[in-house]
Order: sequence, then C-alpha cells, then structure tokens
Amino acid sequence: MEKGAALVIDQVSKSYGTQKALDAVHFEVPRGKVFGLLGPNGAGKTTLLRMLNGITSMDTGSISFFGESLSRGHLHRIGYLPEERGLYKTMRVGEQALYFAQLRGMKKDDARTKLKHWFEKLEVDGWWNKEVSEVSKGMAQKIQFILSILHAPDLLILDEPLSGFDPINAQLVRSTIKEMSDQGDTSIILSTHDMGSVEEMCDEVALLHHGKLVLNGPVQALRDNARDGRIQVAFRGTVMQFTIAVGASAELLEVVTDSPRPGEHTAMLRLSPETDSSQWIHWISGEVQMTSCREWQPSMRDVFMQAVDETSNPAA
Amino acid sequence: MSTLRHIIYREWITRVRRKAFLIGTLLIPALFAGSIGIGVWLESGSEEESKVLIVDASELISRFDDRREVWLPIHPDCFPERSTLTYRFATESMADEAFMQSDFDLMVFFDDGILQHSSAKYFYEKAPAMSTERLISNDLASAIERFKVKRDLELDYSVYKRLKTSIQLVGEDVVTRDGNASGRALIGFFFSAILFLQIMVYGMHVMRGVIEEKSNRIVEVVISVVTPMQLMTGKIIGIGLVGLTQFGLLSVLGWLVYFAGGHWLETNDLLKTSAESSVSLDLESWMASQSQLSFLLDVNWPLMVAATVVFFALGYFMYACIFAAIGASVDQESDAQYYMIPAIIPPLLAYLLAAASIENPEGDIAIYGSYFPLTAPIMMLTRIPMGVFWWEILLAIGGIAITSYLLLIASSRIFRRGILTRGERFSAKDLWKSLRQRH
Repeated sequence: MEKGAALVIDQVSKSYGTQKALDAVHFEVPRGKVFGLLGPNGAGKTTLLRMLNGITSMDTGSISFFGESLSRGHLHRIGYLPEERGLYKTMRVGEQALYFAQLRGMKKDDARTKLKHWFEKLEVDGWWNKEVSEVSKGMAQKIQFILSILHAPDLLILDEPLSGFDPINAQLVRSTIKEMSDQGDTSIILSTHDMGSVEEMCDEVALLHHGKLVLNGPVQALRDNARDGRIQVAFRGTVMQFTIAVGASAELLEVVTDSPRPGEHTAMLRLSPETDSSQWIHWISGEVQMTSCREWQPSMRDVFMQAVDETSNPAA
Repeated sequence: MSTLRHIIYREWITRVRRKAFLIGTLLIPALFAGSIGIGVWLESGSEEESKVLIVDASELISRFDDRREVWLPIHPDCFPERSTLTYRFATESMADEAFMQSDFDLMVFFDDGILQHSSAKYFYEKAPAMSTERLISNDLASAIERFKVKRDLELDYSVYKRLKTSIQLVGEDVVTRDGNASGRALIGFFFSAILFLQIMVYGMHVMRGVIEEKSNRIVEVVISVVTPMQLMTGKIIGIGLVGLTQFGLLSVLGWLVYFAGGHWLETNDLLKTSAESSVSLDLESWMASQSQLSFLLDVNWPLMVAATVVFFALGYFMYACIFAAIGASVDQESDAQYYMIPAIIPPLLAYLLAAASIENPEGDIAIYGSYFPLTAPIMMLTRIPMGVFWWEILLAIGGIAITSYLLLIASSRIFRRGILTRGERFSAKDLWKSLRQRH
C-alpha cells in the first residue's frame, strides 16, 4: 500500500455468473486530486463504484481507504452521485435535503446551515419549500449534487455529474468540483464519457475495458505517450500543390479542407524516420504558404479510442 | 439505529400528512355506516305502499260480508292494517289483463292445497320488496294456522297460543361465565376482517413504495448510505406505523361516537326497554336489555384492541417482508401481479377460514389455524373474544415472530439483489440465487 493514496484498489475481481465484471483491477486514486475513471459502457466502472459504496461486494482483492481496509464504517466519509439518480417526488426540497444529510450522520442544525450555503452557491435557494415534482430536471440535478457534497466527504464519487445540465449550470458545477479539488481536502473520482471534462478537470485517469485496467496515469503523461511523430500543418493554396510539394518526404495521412479560415487547409502527416523535422519545416515553408506547423498532441478522446481499439483488436 | 429512525419517520410522515390518508381514515367508518344503512334500506324495501289481493279459492280464511257485500278475513287480526300494506280478499282470481289494469300490486292465490303443501302462488307486475313478501307470508301463515287449529284440534286459538312453546338457548362458558358465543364470534370475525384488509392495504403500500424508489432511481443513493436491510426494515416499520396510526384514530373516533352518541341518546330519553316503557335507561343498561346487543358488553374490548394492535404489527410485518421482496423484483406494478398470487393466498385463506369459524369458533379449524404462523394473526383474533389461554396467544406470537424473522432474512436477500436490477425479468433461478447469497 502506497502512503498518501486516498484509495488503493488492489487486484479486485468480481463476476456475475460466468461474466467477469472486474478482472484483477489494480490502481491508486491520489489524495486531494480529481481522478477520472473511464471506459466504454459495460467496462465495469459502475460495479467498481458500487463496491466503493458498499452496495456490491468483491469476490477477491482488497480496497484500502486512506490507509484502512474499506468498510461500511467509512461510508459517511464518502459522497456519491450515481448515474442513476433521483429524488422522492412527494417530499419538499429542503425536507429531503435534511433527510439525506441526517442519513449521512449530520446533525439537523449543522445540515441546515451547510445546506443554506450550498443552496445559495448553486442558485437553488428559492426552492427550499417546493415539492420535488415542481422542480425542473436541471434544478433537481443540482440538488442531487449538493446532497453528495454536503457532508464534506473525504472521497467524492461522481458518476456522469454533468449529464442533464445546460452549459451554464454545467459550468457552475464544473467550477465547484474544481474549487473542491483546488482546496485539496477532497479526493474526487469522476466517471464520465465527456473527454473534454476529463482534460479540463482530471489529474489522473484509469481506463477500464472488459473489466480490465488498460491505461492508468496522469492525463498529460498519457497524452504525451500517445504521440506518434505526426505533424499538423496549416497551409494556404491548393491541396494538389501541397501534395506535390510533400512528395515522398513524408506520409500524408489526412487533409482537412473545411478550415474556419477561408482558403486555409490542415494536413496531418508523418515524416519518414530519416527526415530531420526542422530542416523539413524550413524546406516546406519555401514550397507552400504555411501558416502553422506543430507536432500533433492527441486529445483524451484519441487516447481513449486508441486504448480501447488496441485491447479490442490486440493483433492489429 | 438513528438511521433506521430517520427512514421510519420519513415513511410515516410523508404518508400521514397526505390528504388522502385523512380522507381514507374518515371514509372507513362512513363506508361501514353506509353499507349497514344500505343493508337496512334493502331489508326494509323502499317503503312503497303495496295493495294485495288475497284469492282464497276454497274459502278457508275469508267470508262474505252480506251487509257490505265484500269478502273479509275471518280473523282480521291476522291481517293488520299497515301504512305500507293493504289487503283485499276474493275467492276468484282476476284475469291477467284485469289484474294489470287494477290498482293491485300483488295477487296471492291459493286453494285447499295450501293445507298440504304450505305454499301459495303470487302474481305481480313489479316484484315486491323482500320485506313485503315476508309480511304477507307471515300474515297468511298465521291465518292458515288458525284455520288448522280450529279444524283439526277443535281448540280455542287463545288456548293454542298459550300452549305453543319456543325455546331460546342461553349459553354460558363454564370458565369465563360469558354467554352469547355466536355474537362474540361475529365480533372476532369483524376484527379479523379489518386486520386482513389492513395487512393487504399496507402490504401493498410497501410494495408500491419499493417500486416507486426503483422507478424514481433514488434507491442507489439511499443504499449507498444505508444497508438494503435497513432500508427495507425502515420502510416496513414506517408504513406499519401509518396503519397503526389509522387504527388509533379510528379507535378514538369509535369511542367518541360511542360516548357522544350514548350521551345524546340518554339526555333525550331515547333509551327505553320498549316503546311503551316510560323508564329511561343509561346506554349500558339499555344494551344489556337488548338481546341482540347484550353480547357487546361481554367482549373484553381493551384486550381485543390490544390483540388487534399486536397481531396487526406481527402479521403485517410478516407479509410486508414478502411484499417488499416482490416490489424489489419488478420494475412496475403490473409486473408484480404474477408474484402476488402466492403472497395473497395465505392471508386470504386465513380470512376465509375465519369466516367459516363463525359457525364453530372453537372447532379444530379455528384452533389449528390460530397456531399456524401464516394464518395465526387473522384467525387468533376470531378466537380471542371466545376466550383463549395465554399460552395459546404466546404460541401464536412466537410462531409469527420466528416466521417473520426468517422471511425478513430471505426477503432482504431478494431485496438487495432485486433493488438494483432494472429491465430484467427476475427468474426463479435469480430468486434461488438471491436466497443462497449471504452478501
């Protein structure tokens, strides 16, 4: 067990009948950071998140929570916003918030004070006495988010926290998560398919596929590792001129002609191994009107797609 | 424990503060009173006036009055004048057409065959009320009886009436010194019926509550904070307390009606042993003087109410465990119908056996039914007004408690597995797997 990790998932396996939901998964969630848990549908993310919340038991392996073996006693230190979420329709908003806070072990007065703070911060303070059935979907989502963070958990688990939000409210929630992460008191697990949010918020990620861990590490390092010598060149002129100019000096992979700037195109190419990149750039700038040239930086989406593709087709 | 308390409170308060709860609680006595009222109204008919032509073809009970030139009854006191029933007599029947055009509502025809077969035929355009039919039958029987007494016994009818004897059996339990066993058995059945309804109604509440939590998608949030066992137990107890609250309110309402109504009847001097009596009585004495109501004073009401509360709590808990597991196994209420039949059969059987036990409240069926845990809550209530030993009550309570515990364990395993299952049919194999899975 590594000192300092919020969670250590150690060789955790879980099967449902003959189906293996998790297969000897091992990774660590750093303390006070935002950790992305990624994977296509059916990868085993929900099973793992339910294990962390004591909903599902593991078959083998162990999970340590801030240095202790995870047990039900730790649940009041965990905040959980599941993907499948809802509220009691026949209860009033404030009453329901107090109910969940008390279930989490908070005192009523303390819960009321903290709820007031969060309701104001997330702009739902006018809804305290309304019945949940009167509340819009986005408003209900914000209330659910508040209920998961109200007790200031040490570990916050957010499963698709931004789904269902309009861009303004999504930004409000995103900035709140970022704020909590910056304070460093809360370790956050963010499970999402929104790779933009992963790049924006996550420090590290783990990618699961078919119940196995296929990728794990800091976001920037994973993106850097995914570089493969590709160069992105923006140029003016015709595609034909550019193709002739490049000739055999590089492998032209793709040309995008619908650039937002009129008359400009973008080409993706890979230089041959014996070509010196700085000399090549100097040479090509004399042949075509080049507006920019940079080494291609894969996005998290590219990293995700590549990793999933490689594990799905290992021979390719 | 604190968590459980919060769940119980939420389940209770969100139901009892609904208008539907208050309206439903007030509607129960109103429906009871209404159904009794409808029964009385049907019994008495709609108080319509009936004009009856008695066709005495053999001149057995009527004679021709020469002065008034009409047929009259030989014994007019057999056919008293009533506001709703008027008799006319004849020896020849009317043709159908003539009957329909006449102002008679009924035509009763008989000849001397009535002396052998004791039956007469009647004709009508519109069927009479059952009470009218019964009055005519009684009047006619009385007149024929007088004819027979005179012809066959050559006795004066007043002498015959003096000799005629009917025996009323007055029972007394040698242990409890209580009488009127059948009346008390009815009281027991009444409470059993209420218990059966309450168990069904609130068991369904539990099932609906679980389905609602599943369809609201709130359940995953809740069971990330509490265990499925805590959620299920809290829900069952909370909803059970709603049932007890309703029972408590109805009991208070019943006592208020009894005292206020009794006081009103007493102050208005309406409680007399008979219409002719000038002596006014208090409610209790009046009830004691009424043979149809006196058994109410023999019932140990505090014991009956306490037993209803205890057996409701136990019986409801036992069946609510099953209903909670059913709720967890389905996505919507319509899917639950398949599973409900086996869950409903035992309480329904207990209810039917309780109804059958009215005839013989201390027979083998009633006794063994009150020991068997699945039927005991309902059937023990039928027996309690008859007097049972304390060990029998404790045996029933112990059996129900053990069965409830086993059902709670089994149901919580199904509940834990089913509550997060969505869109999949819960097969018998899944059920068996859930029961075997400890964690």
